[in-house]
Amino acid sequence: MSAALPPARFGSGASVRRIEDPALVRGEGRFTDDVQMPGQTFLAFLRSDRAHARILSIDTSGALAVPGVLAVYTGADLVAAGVKPIPVGPVFKRPDGEPLAAPPKRALAHEFVRYVGEGVVAVVADSRDAARAGANAVFVDYEELPAVADVLRATEAGAPAVWPAAPDNVCAESRHGDAVACNAAFAAAAHRVALDIVNQRLAPVSLEPRSVLAYVDAGSGVERLTLRMSSQMPSGVRASLADAIPGRTLDNVRVLVGDVGGGFGMKTGIYPEDIVLGFVALQTGRPVKWQAERVEDFLSAVHGRSQMSHAELALDAQGQVLALRVRTLAGVGAYPSTTSVIIPLLIGPWVSTSIYHVPVISLQLTAILTNNSATGAYRGAGRPEAIYIIERLMDAAAREMGLDGAELRRRNMVRPEQMPYTNPMAQVYDSGDFRKILDQGLALSDWTGFDARRAASLARGLLRGRGIATFLEWTGGNALEEDVTVAVTADGFIELTSATMAMGQGIATSYVQLAHDVFGVPLDRIRVLQGDTDRANGFGSAGSRSLFTGGSAVQVASQRTVDEGRKLAGEALEAPAADIEYHAGRFTVAGTDLGIGLFELAERQGGGRLVVSANAKAGAPSWPNGCHVAEVEIDPATGEVQVVAYASVNDIGRIVSPTIVKGQVEGGAVQGIGQALSEQIVYDRDTAQLLSASFMDYALPRVDGFRAFKTAFDESVPCLTNGLGAKGVGELGTIGATPAVVNAVVDALAHSGLGRKAEQVQMPLTAEAVWRALRGHLPAPLKLRP
Amino acid sequence: MSSALNFTLNGQAVSTTAEPATLLVDLLRGPLGLTGTHQGCDTAQCGCCTVLVDGDSVKACSVLAVQVQGRAVTTVEGLAKLPGVPEGSLHPVQEAFINCHGLQCGFCTPGMMMTATCLLQHNPRPSEAQIVHALEGNLCRCTGYVNIVAAVKQAAVVMAGGAQ
Repeated sequence: MSAALPPARFGSGASVRRIEDPALVRGEGRFTDDVQMPGQTFLAFLRSDRAHARILSIDTSGALAVPGVLAVYTGADLVAAGVKPIPVGPVFKRPDGEPLAAPPKRALAHEFVRYVGEGVVAVVADSRDAARAGANAVFVDYEELPAVADVLRATEAGAPAVWPAAPDNVCAESRHGDAVACNAAFAAAAHRVALDIVNQRLAPVSLEPRSVLAYVDAGSGVERLTLRMSSQMPSGVRASLADAIPGRTLDNVRVLVGDVGGGFGMKTGIYPEDIVLGFVALQTGRPVKWQAERVEDFLSAVHGRSQMSHAELALDAQGQVLALRVRTLAGVGAYPSTTSVIIPLLIGPWVSTSIYHVPVISLQLTAILTNNSATGAYRGAGRPEAIYIIERLMDAAAREMGLDGAELRRRNMVRPEQMPYTNPMAQVYDSGDFRKILDQGLALSDWTGFDARRAASLARGLLRGRGIATFLEWTGGNALEEDVTVAVTADGFIELTSATMAMGQGIATSYVQLAHDVFGVPLDRIRVLQGDTDRANGFGSAGSRSLFTGGSAVQVASQRTVDEGRKLAGEALEAPAADIEYHAGRFTVAGTDLGIGLFELAERQGGGRLVVSANAKAGAPSWPNGCHVAEVEIDPATGEVQVVAYASVNDIGRIVSPTIVKGQVEGGAVQGIGQALSEQIVYDRDTAQLLSASFMDYALPRVDGFRAFKTAFDESVPCLTNGLGAKGVGELGTIGATPAVVNAVVDALAHSGLGRKAEQVQMPLTAEAVWRALRGHLPAPLKLRP
Repeated sequence: MSSALNFTLNGQAVSTTAEPATLLVDLLRGPLGLTGTHQGCDTAQCGCCTVLVDGDSVKACSVLAVQVQGRAVTTVEGLAKLPGVPEGSLHPVQEAFINCHGLQCGFCTPGMMMTATCLLQHNPRPSEAQIVHALEGNLCRCTGYVNIVAAVKQAAVVMAGGAQ
């Protein structure tokens, strides 16, 4: 669908083999746990088996008696040593005007435990088995306290308090929009729809668990703490370590990251465990390694989503949306981070009106403390929740008015002539032609042919439904600046150094393609260096930001390198720089055969390297958008849902690596389908024990799910606020798939005789949930208190 | 307590020792230094640690090291050394995973490829349903499995002597 010129064979726009792959398929990846150091020790955590308790005493003598155990540390040890809690940003307030309320987020529990899985004791030993045996030999005497893991229960009068300073369990609250105007719009509306909506708690699940290898490097005469780890944000982790551990500064902490076995937002910030590893390495003077067991990641890595909402839409008689009103409770866990709170209270609201012109909004969002693991970033981080709400409401409104869902959406879409468009949250969309994307999505999905497919499914005894989601997302993390350093070396390589982080998304390949556009040298001459805070620092990779910020910087730095080379070549060739031409690794004097190679020029520079740094700043977030259409079949005998068709048209602006972006959208969509149909973190309602702590209980999509995606891109609407014209892609599929699939299931159920009642279903739409719905058993209303 | 252990690893004879409770995955990743075999869970669900023992795919987290006494173990590091793979080339399964963008982060990939290799050795012309059935014990969080299944199909064609 692109009108762009055909791409160069390996440059941007071309599908190339990823430069990351040869090492990974040979088993030569370098994940954190793959690195062994001489004299390395192993650390195991004893984690709380209580959801809420006072620690009366800890007896570590049993652990110290285990052969191979070297040291044992408790929360009290860390407090005594001056290790500080992880601060929570003071961005938000409670409704009573008091500052955000949350217990101190410590590296190890001190005096109290507040969720099952909280680290209590760290045991260091000369083998992994000895460390685990040592942890099992620690005796902790607890005085058990009442706990609450359910967000709705946590808001009831008399509910146990997670943190005594907040007896109502309210961590923080935000209100956006104009409640009075919103009430007036609802009062005057021709049509009103309301839904209770649960965005259930999810586990991000990178297949590589969190891993850290901490050691002290005294090589340069200065004792430096180094953490080799699996992280999307090494610079942020370094800053947090320097903040938490006495005697540590940015100068004497280094974070190294090799291959990252998936991130999905789960590896974006500091974890308490990281601080413990750093502290222990400094205490013992020996390298210390920890790789989370899968159960530890389920228990204590961040969870995503965890929001309950009552959402309402008001429309006039023609189907123009007049107002959106949403009340949300977000269960943020016992020890929320700034991220836990900003996702529901600010990031989600930014996209709450999506691609639609909604004149008035009123949002009230409350972060609630609960006795479970903290929430944090998970692919989409606030946007999937908000888009799910508005897309469910759109379908409910279409049903209410007897309109086609696509038509109702079309009537409300922001039009290209309204760009730049400022939404009610003061977010500015630079570009987008949403109706054009919708039209292509309808065509790709054969929207008009659906009735025949529904009849054919019914003839086979299956209920068929169709769902649509048209949407956009905010990307960039509001960290819009990146530095890239280019070094041309005498031995024939071009090195690009960036603080953005590879985590499987193939960013290095995309950078190499962009550099190839400028340098014209073979791809294998270009290398990307990432994951070392001694070389580069920045925000890291999250929020679908890396290509449009870092890629823009690659482009600028590469061009600047050629410009600098032209000057140097002019000097070497005794010709004015203006007469120097550059092509495919060689500078020549125009009209002559006099020239010098790029790498030869580098050889003549100090240190044999031509080094140029450049910074690029995107002017604003990018706003990728799409139209995703899913069709499902339900077996009425079992309630089992199968996704049977999925078509998407995506506007991600200019595309650098076509194969990679298709993989991002489709792989991301399977994660979104996981939320719609199968995934759910479950805590026991009474004991707050985690019941979904393994792959046997947490239903990740498997290979037998849907794979026959039809995925298309429209490159005709480039982003106007960054040098590349690219819009982020990493989270798009995940955001679109969940509402498209749920809307399809609701459609099938509504047509099976349930009618509007079908709108009461809640995710995950497991066979059991759907089977019950078909028999009229639907989830009870949430009854959120205002 | 440790006992002598002799087996063939990626075509080479190995003589080592192992404790009775040592898992094969820990022997491979630790003392033998073959870190291409990954460990992604503790309940034998993810399949990241899949290796071949006498040509059959097994999860190395569920096998004791001493159980491979006298047997032939193939890990991802040995894939390109299997019979029929020209010196210096990748195994067709490895090539196909690259060609089809069948990997993103690469953590599940060694296990996926070992499972696929086992399938193709036993069933050179699998149907899509048979590929799906074979891969059901391997989890991937990045790709949505779309390109993994495509890669196994492509490898089957290549191994049967067809063009890519």
